[in-house]
Amino acid sequence: MKKLMKNKSFRAGLVITGVMVFLAIAGPFITPWDPEEMNRGLKFSGVSLSHIMGCDNFGRDIFSRVLYGLRTTMIVAVGTVFIGCAGGVIIGSLTGYFGGIFDTVVMRINDVLFAFPAVLIALVFVSLFGSSDVILIVALGVAFIPSFARMVRSEFLRNRSLDYVAAARLQGAGNFRIIFFHILPNAWPVLLQSVIIGFNNAVLAEAGMSFLGIGVQPPAASLGRMLSEAQSYIRVAPGYALFPGLVIILMVLGLGLMSRASYE
Amino acid sequence: MNILNVEKLNIEFLDHEGPEKVVKDVSFNLEEGGILGIVGESGSGKSMTALAIAGLLNRHDMRKSGKIEYKGRDLLTIPREELRSFQGDDISMIFQEPMTSFDPRLRIGFQVEEGLGVHRPEMTAEEKKAAALEAMTAVGLENQERVYMLYPHELSGGMRQRAMIAAAVITEPRILIADEPTTALDVTVQAQIIKLLRRINSEKGTAILFISHDMSLVKQLCKEVMVMKKGSVVERGSSEQVYLHPREDYTVSLMNAIPKKGVRYYRSEDIESDSEIARAEKLNVFVGNGRGRRCIVQDASFSIRQGEIMGLVGESGSGKTTLGKALLGINKDTEGTFDIHDPYPQMIFQDPYSSLNPARTIGWILEEPLRLRSRVDREVRRERVNEMLKTVGLSEDMYSRYPDQLSGGQRQRVSIASALMQTPKLVIADEPVSALDVTVQRQILELIRELKEKYSLTVLFISHDLRVVYSLCDSVMIMKDGVIVEQGDTDHVYEAPAHEYTKKLLAAVD
Repeated sequence: MKKLMKNKSFRAGLVITGVMVFLAIAGPFITPWDPEEMNRGLKFSGVSLSHIMGCDNFGRDIFSRVLYGLRTTMIVAVGTVFIGCAGGVIIGSLTGYFGGIFDTVVMRINDVLFAFPAVLIALVFVSLFGSSDVILIVALGVAFIPSFARMVRSEFLRNRSLDYVAAARLQGAGNFRIIFFHILPNAWPVLLQSVIIGFNNAVLAEAGMSFLGIGVQPPAASLGRMLSEAQSYIRVAPGYALFPGLVIILMVLGLGLMSRASYE
Repeated sequence: MNILNVEKLNIEFLDHEGPEKVVKDVSFNLEEGGILGIVGESGSGKSMTALAIAGLLNRHDMRKSGKIEYKGRDLLTIPREELRSFQGDDISMIFQEPMTSFDPRLRIGFQVEEGLGVHRPEMTAEEKKAAALEAMTAVGLENQERVYMLYPHELSGGMRQRAMIAAAVITEPRILIADEPTTALDVTVQAQIIKLLRRINSEKGTAILFISHDMSLVKQLCKEVMVMKKGSVVERGSSEQVYLHPREDYTVSLMNAIPKKGVRYYRSEDIESDSEIARAEKLNVFVGNGRGRRCIVQDASFSIRQGEIMGLVGESGSGKTTLGKALLGINKDTEGTFDIHDPYPQMIFQDPYSSLNPARTIGWILEEPLRLRSRVDREVRRERVNEMLKTVGLSEDMYSRYPDQLSGGQRQRVSIASALMQTPKLVIADEPVSALDVTVQRQILELIRELKEKYSLTVLFISHDLRVVYSLCDSVMIMKDGVIVEQGDTDHVYEAPAHEYTKKLLAAVD
């Protein structure tokens, strides 16, 4: 961790991500405007002191919508990665540790799931269960499980035949303890990286889903939904598309810098 | 007449945090037809020196200075093209690992004759093949025609090292560099390779640069010896002179590090001959499952008396580790009966690099058995771990270190501590010193002896090294191809071996 802090790109990434998280949490206290309050008179008004990013097609303050959207996007991304990571760790560690027929069967199912793009799986979920934030998170989360599972499994395959596992068994550790307390910590470094990359993918997936109109439902704000709405007005109000897009870029950039640094 | 002059050779790595000198002002010369031994532990710079002479150090992140003179040319500064005309022709090299020094996808024959393809383009395919077969005969490979067509994985370690030597000598080099050529091999094979090198030297007049950590091997082969430590030459002279009158303490410690045959270093005094701690009867051990299930240990019957150190000797693949793991219950696939009168027998593993969990601190690793079995408070655990660290000769600040911050010897101490944390009565030590430097080996053996007395342990000492076993063990079992061919009192077995194989093993060590 100390070594990481010395790395310039890691620090830059940390600062950017930190600012993003702060904005998402403190959003309501920063902006005086209700993100859903419409004001016809302000429709497509440009950048001004009171509305620093201007207003959209309903005269809503873009800045506050970006802040709320950021929050939605982050919640979705965190939830997605959490489900994907937890599921992946459990499946990957059990299959990698025990091996055998159990491993073969589970990993083939995993492969099938892996063959579909995340957005497609999420689409199936949404069409089956309707669309809401929770379903979006679950859908994307499930779609993220296979990649985590594979990675964790490979770490377990590499570690399970090492002597320290045999030593732990001689010390009286059971399978559960060996899996989660002895081997799993060895997978953390790789897991950390894929969490960061997964987070980025989740941000983009959420934006994509909302852009397609199957993610977060109006009038709630999300960065992807804002982009999707803004495309019709790109000539009249370029700021409407520009600012949410910029925030997505910054968020992905911050995490990307961190993941690259931890990789180095 | 000197064939090779090395003058003030310096090699420095630049890619580490600070520049790191691995070879410092090394000067020596190799006589025409002479054999020079370079001895030292890992990190002494002996392999770096060899690689520099072979022209194999061409990385950008290093600085070389000095002179390596061959035929009036400086090998450090001549152009690559010219260097290549020497490499594999006048100067050949044999590497330590016969497993990785062959390309697994190419036939042995092709790789043996490859040097001719590069340096004797005028030779026809038939001539090259004839030369390859001749070289393979010369190094003692039987069935050359068949071996010629085989792939590396189809040969045993010894055969592969012979093939490697055949490939190195096929161009009749004037200098042969052998970098630990026998370290990865079994003792009986080691002796044969040494004999072979000696023959090549006397028949062809090839000068040999023999690099090893094993003083006794060097003594068998070399006329001249050079001792290196941390990049510098600390002592050099004729073999006799260095062995009989070593000037440096370091040389003495290197020599003492390897137990000599016939020197008894320890015998237990607290053996209770009427109480057994372990007993096996007609024990078969299997490995693998389904169609791949093979019987590795056959019909093992023995008993280990309380308080003794029993040696289990055999070459690689003889099944000694498999037997050890079966006794501990790690290999569960067994037939026959065995009894261990210790609820928690422990094991000291061969490779201290894989036997300690790299993601956990030393303290955590050592506390684990206490967390699992005795359920004592955090403070008590910490106290007991610190006590144990002191017992195995480590300081308390090891507690919060990670395994990769420790040296091989320190790791092995931790590994021993971890076994002892559970107060076992029986400890199975599986080649506990083979992965360590020779001087460290000595210290670890001493530690095992000390702890054995302190905790009145019974030890099953698995090793391929007959000298170590003789110096330490009260009784011994000799294993070959999964069968225990001979067992008994160590002194008795070593003085009057009954089985042919035991005789052969004993003849192989000097």
